[in-house]
Amino acid sequence: MAAEPAGLLQPRPTVLPRRSGSGGLSIVVTTVVSDSHTWNLVFLQLALEELGHQVRNLGPCVPAVEVIAECRRSRPDLVVVSTVNGHGMRDGTQLIELIRQCPELADLPVVIGGKLGIAGPAGLASSARLRSAGFDAVYEDGAGTAALRSLPALVRAGRQL
Amino acid sequence: MSVAITTRSFGDIVAGACRDGRLVVQPRMGMSSPRAMRQGLLATRRAAATTVGTITLDSYTRIGASAEAAEAVALGMELNGYPLVAHDLATTAGVLAGVLGEDFPVQIRHGSPCPEPIVAALIAAGLHATEGGPVSYCLPYSRMPLETATANWARSCDLLAEVRATGVEPHLESFGGCMLGQLCPPGLLVALSVLECLFFRQHGVHSVSLSYAQQTNAEQDREAVAALHRLAGELLPDADWHIVLYAYMGVYPRTPAGADRLLTQAARLAVRTGAARLIVKTAAEAYRIPSIAENVAALEAAASAAADERLAPVPGEPADTGIYAEARSLVDAVRNLDPDLGRALIKAFRRGYLDVPYCLHPDNAGRSRSYLDRAGWLHWSRTGSMPIAETLRPVSRTELTAAGLLDALSFVERKFDEAGRTELPTTPGASAGALAEPNQARSRTPMLPLSTVPTTESTTPPGTRQHLASPTTAAVLTIQSRMLAAVRTFLSQHGFTEVLLPVIGPVTDPGARGAKQVDIDYYGHRYKLMTSAILYKQASLTMFDKIYCIAPNVRLEPLDTTVTSRHLAEFHQIDVEMAGASREQAMRLIEDLLGYLVGKVLAELPAEFERLGRDVAALGELLAGPFGRRSHTEAVATLRELGHSQNPDAEIDWAGEAKLSGLESRPFFLTDYPKGSRGFYDRENPQRPGYLRNFDLIAAEGYGELCSGSEREHDYAAIIARMRETGENPAKYGWYLDMVRDGIPASAGFGIGVERLTRYLAGLDSVWQASAFPKVPGVVSP
Repeated sequence: MAAEPAGLLQPRPTVLPRRSGSGGLSIVVTTVVSDSHTWNLVFLQLALEELGHQVRNLGPCVPAVEVIAECRRSRPDLVVVSTVNGHGMRDGTQLIELIRQCPELADLPVVIGGKLGIAGPAGLASSARLRSAGFDAVYEDGAGTAALRSLPALVRAGRQL
Repeated sequence: MSVAITTRSFGDIVAGACRDGRLVVQPRMGMSSPRAMRQGLLATRRAAATTVGTITLDSYTRIGASAEAAEAVALGMELNGYPLVAHDLATTAGVLAGVLGEDFPVQIRHGSPCPEPIVAALIAAGLHATEGGPVSYCLPYSRMPLETATANWARSCDLLAEVRATGVEPHLESFGGCMLGQLCPPGLLVALSVLECLFFRQHGVHSVSLSYAQQTNAEQDREAVAALHRLAGELLPDADWHIVLYAYMGVYPRTPAGADRLLTQAARLAVRTGAARLIVKTAAEAYRIPSIAENVAALEAAASAAADERLAPVPGEPADTGIYAEARSLVDAVRNLDPDLGRALIKAFRRGYLDVPYCLHPDNAGRSRSYLDRAGWLHWSRTGSMPIAETLRPVSRTELTAAGLLDALSFVERKFDEAGRTELPTTPGASAGALAEPNQARSRTPMLPLSTVPTTESTTPPGTRQHLASPTTAAVLTIQSRMLAAVRTFLSQHGFTEVLLPVIGPVTDPGARGAKQVDIDYYGHRYKLMTSAILYKQASLTMFDKIYCIAPNVRLEPLDTTVTSRHLAEFHQIDVEMAGASREQAMRLIEDLLGYLVGKVLAELPAEFERLGRDVAALGELLAGPFGRRSHTEAVATLRELGHSQNPDAEIDWAGEAKLSGLESRPFFLTDYPKGSRGFYDRENPQRPGYLRNFDLIAAEGYGELCSGSEREHDYAAIIARMRETGENPAKYGWYLDMVRDGIPASAGFGIGVERLTRYLAGLDSVWQASAFPKVPGVVSP
């Protein structure tokens, strides 16, 4: 495969208001172990920081144990998993199962998005599988920046449960 | 066992070409199969350019997964590069036999932070040139600690240096000037390139090259390469060194013209800055791994652009904006940390003296950021702890936003494609470039996780993977699939037989609107790809009374159709033909067929239509009975009233067709075209000579023509006469006229454009969205 200039059809998002740090969430941005792409993670970091959140970006090819170790160490409000190499279903499922096996991380809000290999008619079922495996939300490519803005509400909803 | 070394030192060969005023050009080729690898190397050697060969390795070998690579080789699996370590020596010797020459060396490219097995294997194969570096092959693509990678690279350099005992000077290139491919300001690129070469030198490698990747502004690049020259001269006095330039490594232009211009600019930069070697890239890069021929074309295009540039007036010195001073202060700061370059590099990253913007490796401080200004100059917005004096490089307060990142990553693509688009038409075959290192090309790809559906005005498809992964595409093609299933059900219920018709033949539909036909060589005969199935449809009626097929057509439409949103150079038609039928019967069949299939897809796929945001009510109109009919003459009058200067004797032009369809809320038939506007097979109206018994179905809402049909000429003499009138040579139509002479039935029929109908049903902005692998006219596509 040659380089795919994906994502360039992104609409020009409106300039997002920069909020004070106090209202923001502490967010871990990560990907799955088999994915070495980074510009998607950089984009997410910038976009989330612009929304006033604090981001810890774990970079490419992150083994599940490192995600778990980071979550235990820093106790983030939210984990955002982004993956674009097409192994999101398999690697993402493994990752969330391992996270949920840790009692202290059982209620941690974790979402996944990107090119998950769940497009097409089977998409809804696959997305439901990822949710039933433990993700709080699943965003296929195309969710738009509105999805990012909805994250705090998702975290608040989780806290009320 | 070691294979005899047959070439001179890589450094000597490049230096010799440089002295002779020839730019050395090099591809990025890496093939899994030994046979293909060998062919690629031979083609590189034979190219009309001063070339050196490349063997790029696969990702398993890169990460040291030798078991996986060996298994892939044993199973004959395709890899994304040549598995040098997994292949036995005899295999690699076979690849290289007769390839290596006195002036043709081969460089091994890999991207590995643990390259010892690779270096051992290349030495065993009689090679002595490779590339990488402890920083440049660790930080961007791996999680390996920098300390480990540095130790690995130190041992690998020591191993490579041992080759000197055989009488050849081994060569090592630093990839440091290419960090992340994009968005790293030039001062840091220059510093990393120099520092890695100093590291190589410290570990006994005396012949090195310093890399620099073309960035986003030609003037800034010129200054950067001049700075690299100056620093290398100052700091590597006892080494044999040259500069290697990389054609732009980020998101590549998608038009052939844009890719050409970018490569030409890289070749010019190389000549103006005294770089000795250029790693090229191809126009195909934006879509897929280029073929050998495309690589050769890129090598030759670059060599020719470089030769031209040598004849051009020598430009003045680039302005000094402080790149040299910045690089020098970074290099000095690092060298002062420790006399051992490896330890100095590790400390420098730990302290943030070196800090690559947007690099997420755990050992990179991540406190620096950069941005592009409007002219494409790269600047720092934050320098973190890097010893960059504010006076040298005032740090702007401009922070790159998420939206700005997207803009920056696509800056070059947009700039060169926009320039390229205004220059259409060009020759796609003559475009420029080279093979991506597949493993690395992927890592540099900006793929964004939360983008929305494709923008509506876009006339050019996104990359294949993105297009195929888009939920929009999946919904559209689901609709298309059900639509075709409904067509088959309906037609077979109405007594039609599906006949699979040829894709190639000695002659095809001559068409009328200026599309070019595609010739192929059929055992020495010039055959055509079908532009439509018309000739075979008529002939098939000697077998069945009612036939249809769903078949691909290829029409190289003129380049002005690139922007119509409704032309594809390759498309499909639902082609129907009925013996003994009238035009009115054909039009009624279309009304019934469309009514049936729309009812089906709407009932079966409500979720898909909702996902696409299609106003289903508009489609319901299709179910509401017969479509209106108006003649070509009336349409011309309407258009002229609207101020549109439509030629009354010709096909309605595209703008006119769009205008007409915009006036209507329902599809309508446009009938009775004048004779000059259509092919010989549309039957002339005996009651109204000069006009045809034909029709187009025009969709409402500006979607334009969906379908064309007619009663057919079937009489031998009439067909010959019509052929002559339309400027066709009957001699070309041998088999068809033989059939006609012996008798074919009178008939009527039509062809519905599958992608156009899909576009209409799904409410898409462009017809390419209705194809999995769209070919927009003039755009090089998979």
